Amino acid sequence: MPTREELQQRLDRISNLFASIVAHADEQSTWRCPYKNRFDRCTAQFGCRNKRKAGAAGELPLCIGDDKLDYRPAWE
Amino acid sequence: MAEITDITNEFIRQEIEEFIERPDERQRTIGTFAQACPEMQVIAAALIEGENETVSRLTRQALDSGIEALEVMDYGLIAGMGIVGIKFRQNFIFVPEVLACARAMKAGMAHIEPILSAAGVDPVGTVVMGTVKGDLHDIGKNLCIMMLRGAGFVVHDLGVDTSPDRFIEAIEETKAPLMGMSALLTTTMPNMGKTIEAFIDADLRDEVKIMVGGAPVTQEFADDMGADGYGKDALACVALAKNLLGVAVKS
Repeated sequence: MPTREELQQRLDRISNLFASIVAHADEQSTWRCPYKNRFDRCTAQFGCRNKRKAGAAGELPLCIGDDKLDYRPAWE
Repeated sequence: MAEITDITNEFIRQEIEEFIERPDERQRTIGTFAQACPEMQVIAAALIEGENETVSRLTRQALDSGIEALEVMDYGLIAGMGIVGIKFRQNFIFVPEVLACARAMKAGMAHIEPILSAAGVDPVGTVVMGTVKGDLHDIGKNLCIMMLRGAGFVVHDLGVDTSPDRFIEAIEETKAPLMGMSALLTTTMPNMGKTIEAFIDADLRDEVKIMVGGAPVTQEFADDMGADGYGKDALACVALAKNLLGVAVKS
């Protein structure tokens, strides 16, 4: 049976991992829409003028946003 | 020194070769996975792929087969999330992928929770979270939830477009002493105030601390609408939640 300290140490490591992820997410969102996945597909549940209809059924819509511009005004 | 060929799982080997560029990180990751049994490597691989059902099933299987919780955490869940963190930092993957991996981690951790409780590691607190009525922008809320869960909170996620009644129902059902609301649009921000008013009308305002956040929200706005706290981002959200629960416990 692991001790409280051993388990707490692991939870602290998870917490630290997530903290660095969140810090990077903040920075990344200044140059890339956070709803856009690695395949440039949009995961947002809301409308956005940068969304283009997906090809195959069940496919997420393609994002055609230009990340050089502020993407936020396109959100609806 | 451990070699990449010491790692049996081909997917993990490929992930390290393709995505981990810094020599110190590469060697540390190889060292970790070279010590990991094949079962843990498969858990890590499923987590990196964001496959929450697979992570859940394999974690249960590993614990049932007698593998220690610490080993599952060290060499399966945390080791996998470590690779996810590096890929994210290097911009190989983005927020949607990271959130999927975090959900997979949660699915695995669900099987560890009874072991945590038995060892006296209790949840920090319970929180109900949702975006307000009319608002579908949930990335900020989801990052807050990831952070809160990582910090040891039990989080009930109400999702998006949450009506005041749904918030009230959730607080009554879960008895959570803390609630978080987020809004991204200036048009939906007033619904935070309406939700707080609904809690007052239901005579429940004293039962719950309410924190708010979202890009257009400010401390001044939070104060005006009668919230107990404002968090400017997901990191601040955890500190605020701890602070508010500390106040709740003391009172």
